[in-house]
Amino acid sequence: MTNGLVAAGLGGTVKLPPHLLAALAPLLVVVLALDVYCLVDVARARSVRNAPKIAWVIVILAFSAPLGALLYLFFGRDRGKSGGAPSAAPPGGQATEPTPASVADAAAEPPAPASREPIVTTSGLTRDYGGTGLFDVDLVVPRGSIYGLVGPNGAGKTTLLSIVCGVRRSDSGGVCLDVARDKIAVCPDVPEFDGWLTAYEVVDLARALVAGPARLGGAGREGGAGRNSGSDAILAALRTAGIGDVVDRRVAGFSRGMVQRLGLACALVTDPELLILDEPTSALDPAGRAEMLNLVAAMRGTKTVIFSSHILADVQRVADQVGILRDGRLLYQGSASDLIEQHLRPSWLVKIAGDAARVAQVMREQPWAARVEPAGGGLIRVDADSIESGERGIPAVIASCGARQVSCEPVAADLESAFLALTSQPLAEAR
Amino acid sequence: MTTRPAASPLASQVRPRASWAPPAPMGTWRLEWLRLTRTPRAIALAAVYVIFGLGEPVLTKYLNNIINHAGGAQRLKISIPPPVPSDGINAYVGQVSTIGLIVVVVIAAGAFGFDSKQGLATFLHTRVSNIWQLITPRYTVNAAAAITAYVLGTLAAWYETSLLIGSLPVAAMLEGMLCAACYLAFVVALSAAAASVVKNTLGAVGLTVVLLLALPIAGLAHSIQNWLPSVLVSAPYDLISGTHLTHYLPAIGTAVVAAALLLIGTAARLRSREV
Repeated sequence: MTNGLVAAGLGGTVKLPPHLLAALAPLLVVVLALDVYCLVDVARARSVRNAPKIAWVIVILAFSAPLGALLYLFFGRDRGKSGGAPSAAPPGGQATEPTPASVADAAAEPPAPASREPIVTTSGLTRDYGGTGLFDVDLVVPRGSIYGLVGPNGAGKTTLLSIVCGVRRSDSGGVCLDVARDKIAVCPDVPEFDGWLTAYEVVDLARALVAGPARLGGAGREGGAGRNSGSDAILAALRTAGIGDVVDRRVAGFSRGMVQRLGLACALVTDPELLILDEPTSALDPAGRAEMLNLVAAMRGTKTVIFSSHILADVQRVADQVGILRDGRLLYQGSASDLIEQHLRPSWLVKIAGDAARVAQVMREQPWAARVEPAGGGLIRVDADSIESGERGIPAVIASCGARQVSCEPVAADLESAFLALTSQPLAEAR
Repeated sequence: MTTRPAASPLASQVRPRASWAPPAPMGTWRLEWLRLTRTPRAIALAAVYVIFGLGEPVLTKYLNNIINHAGGAQRLKISIPPPVPSDGINAYVGQVSTIGLIVVVVIAAGAFGFDSKQGLATFLHTRVSNIWQLITPRYTVNAAAAITAYVLGTLAAWYETSLLIGSLPVAAMLEGMLCAACYLAFVVALSAAAASVVKNTLGAVGLTVVLLLALPIAGLAHSIQNWLPSVLVSAPYDLISGTHLTHYLPAIGTAVVAAALLLIGTAARLRSREV
């Protein structure tokens, strides 16, 4: 080759002058580098979006370069691709698997009496979305309590929590917080994070946004005491939330339950005084739910937790204070036990040997009987207006009918029954 | 049996295993850097500008040959005057002022569109004490990335043009880059403002593009023509064709002031916006 490069083409050979070769070389290098980068990326990726891997390889190779590569970058590249292989063991030690014993416990403990001093108070809080929203809500959350906010869909739970944490405004009324804003942590029901960050980075970001970025120590990246303590806090939060084994995995590959746990880790890492959890168990499996409740219960007395839930058994299990919302109005606020006592009628399950239908009929005619329902197999459920009248009246009616009482067991009072009793009443009566 | 401390769930001391080192500390600046480098944003931005920078002068130089080769069968002869050096830059500017600008707008609107996802918006709004914590890094990093991509593309176009067509005046080229940088800074600020008005990212991109298209139309009014940032689009070509930089000073001033005002407006909107 004496003067330029000879290129073969369909129409014969073309002699490329040196200056054109020099001009085209960078363009070819960039285009080829982009195509090669994309092909390597496809080969290394665990998955790609919108089409199978082989289809993206064809697009990259067959489309006019570099259009195919750019199409892949924008529409095919999987943003959840991990920066490294998922670690088999958690960096911090063992993964936190819930055990029956661990789940037993803190949640099963009787609620500790909360301090009377309120940490959150709202007065006449109203936010009208045209008939729905919140109306005249006076919320009082005692410091150190676990406050369960329950209500049907659309009752206004999320609106109330959003106003309390400051991301929505009220039309009227006010919120009084006896806690610094940076000591409040919020975990929404569907947390979302940038999918290309790892779990560790997300929690580190949550900490840095509140506390400022950790400074590097003089002895290098991990040398500073502050850096180490920051790292320890992040790992501890991730472990506490049950995702200590995926610290270096990118969030885009997480299930909804894992994202919810990550949201909790972000809330915990700043060691808040007030923790607001909107439906914290909605995406968790039964074991995860139990673990979350256990965790919430463990905070009693040291942190104040407000959490909303549809699952009344969860609220009853951990909450010492309960607020019931319906149609934007706070129907009840106080201890869970008081709610059950006030809004639940005493109830018994009576087993009869003899004509149970006749006994039920006579029972219904008694002035003290609030509700009488045959439950099959000689069983009758009897609700009375008071414990005394039930205990005296039930045996008397059975005797008068000539039937025999096999057993008579009180039905355990639960929050769900109280909730249903309260929310089934007309609004004015319920309040 | 796994037990947890009852007093504080975070009280447990966790030590990472020896082989695992925590990554660099996170912050809003690092977040933006990772947004560029861990997603296709940086590569796409650089690729679009550099490929146009490398390709357009070559096309300009051989446009005559390409057209005549394409029309060879019909013996159709189209004659285009031989290109001058400014034509190479003009072709590059023409491409990046459309496709390149759309890529910049998409990337910037995406960075500022955090309120489009309620969970992410709650995460950010409940943690930052000052909305500028979010705005400053996002604006700076995105504007810097756009300007860097433009400069890389211009250098590529400069190299190709000098090699194939002829040399270009250094001072005018640098002045052209300055004008384009001011315009891109304005475009990123406009994208941020659009994202603060429209929650949906696609809507923010559409609004920004419409506003950018409206500017040259507003420029039909001669009294304000020289003050509009849109005149900076053609500045790199005009400057090497003989126009003086002073001609663009009003537009540069407008772009800088408008960018600052748009960012202040963005902060006010984001601060008051409900999640």
